[in-house]
Amino acid sequence: MKKRLKWNTKCKLCLVPSLLGTAVFFVVPFLRVLYYSLIDNQFRRNFVWFGNYIETLQNKYFLLALKNSLLIILIAVPILVVLALAISLGFSYGIKWVRKTRFAFVLPMVIPTASIVLIWRSVFTDSSTALPIYLLFIWKNIGICVVLLTAAFTSIEKSVFEAARLDGANSFILHTKITIPMIAPTVFFTVLLSIVNSFKIFKESYLFYGTNYPPDHSYTLQYYMNNNFLKLDYQSLATSAVLTSILVFVIVMAGIFIQRRFDR
Amino acid sequence: MRKINAIVFTVLALIFVLPVAATAVFSFRANGEFSLQGYADLLFDCFVFYPMFWNSVLYAAVITLVQLLVIIPCAFGFSQARFKGRGALFVFYIVLMMMPLQVTILPNYVGLRDMGLIDHPLGIILPMIFSPFGVVVMHQYMKNIDNSVIEALRLETNSIFRVMITGVIPQIRVCIFAVVLFVFADCWNMVEQPMLFLKDDGLKTLSVFITNAQEYTGEVLFPAAVIFLVPVLILYLFFNENLEKGLTLGELS
Repeated sequence: MKKRLKWNTKCKLCLVPSLLGTAVFFVVPFLRVLYYSLIDNQFRRNFVWFGNYIETLQNKYFLLALKNSLLIILIAVPILVVLALAISLGFSYGIKWVRKTRFAFVLPMVIPTASIVLIWRSVFTDSSTALPIYLLFIWKNIGICVVLLTAAFTSIEKSVFEAARLDGANSFILHTKITIPMIAPTVFFTVLLSIVNSFKIFKESYLFYGTNYPPDHSYTLQYYMNNNFLKLDYQSLATSAVLTSILVFVIVMAGIFIQRRFDR
Repeated sequence: MRKINAIVFTVLALIFVLPVAATAVFSFRANGEFSLQGYADLLFDCFVFYPMFWNSVLYAAVITLVQLLVIIPCAFGFSQARFKGRGALFVFYIVLMMMPLQVTILPNYVGLRDMGLIDHPLGIILPMIFSPFGVVVMHQYMKNIDNSVIEALRLETNSIFRVMITGVIPQIRVCIFAVVLFVFADCWNMVEQPMLFLKDDGLKTLSVFITNAQEYTGEVLFPAAVIFLVPVLILYLFFNENLEKGLTLGELS
């Protein structure tokens, strides 16, 4: 019993370096950011409570940025996930030649954005729509989606299929009763990850336009924050960082909640 | 049907490789014809290029290696330790992993400023070491490892390090390779942190060099972009087969 206890303590100690680092660089500073979002400015430090939040939620640029961020989620994310699903289906059930093309779809994931925007800029000279950004988002993110989905497809044991087929199941039943339920959690996770990654498109967009003030259609939440960063406007920055983190927190928690319901 | 499939995939694959291939082709052109002038200008005349290249290598290598030392024990601890709130703590790591950089960069900045690490290489390195991605991925992977090996080793030794090195690491090799590729590529791709945390040009990275495009002539840009993607490309060639097996992220928590 004593030894068991000791082992458990040792295992807990293994967590310490990571927890300590996370606390020092993320959690404690985040609490200070939370504090900044509740005061009027760095010098007077009067509590204004939700004053900054009300101001931010009425700010025209914040709303524009929010709208554009949601548009990417509604337009680019579904296209990305459906395309990734089709490609991973091909990898899992297709012929050998198809599987060899995997290299091309996963590669963009590791290619640094700074290298690739040069070509993007020389091809997409027309900046009247957000199309180049959507394409860049899909190009960059298809790899991780394909990897996750292919892993899910190949983890379905062939023997389950064989058994079901012997029991007289046709291919429609095979897929609706086996394939879809088995890959559903991963598809769900892929959608979640892509939504979250769409918030991260700032780097691509920033490098593509090479400016802090892109055309209106591409002005996303991250621009709003970045511009406040450069202005050293801590209150707006802190407020929008807190708002964005709440948004991401809600999306992720909803995801975990739905997935747990699914499992039951 | 099979033929159509093969053709569709080949065409799609070509479209996806095209941007990389075009970057490579453009790097060998000047004034509309084949030329190595860009490379020559970059390698012999552009002296800011070298320190920035080595900074990129240094930051990415140090972050990747030290991060492994932090996340392997942490993931092992998560999968072995039993305590109240473990599930909630892991959900916290997942949420943190999902946070966009623009949310975490301000807390990072505030923390680094208080420690006097702005304009210091450690300001770039330290926060990245504690990025939660690797912990989440490795913990998910460790759910499926063979626990009997660990149990057997524990009868022999009381050292948790020996258990980890001889019992766990060989089993999670694939996952480690996948994480190394992912983390290295992520560090290599950093743009915001060097721009916001560093003022001294001598500390900045190659991504900043390429980003400040306007300052240099067009000839050196494409060669710089190509040289910039070669290190990750090599790593990708070595490790990409491990990705599907190493990143098992379907189930949350």
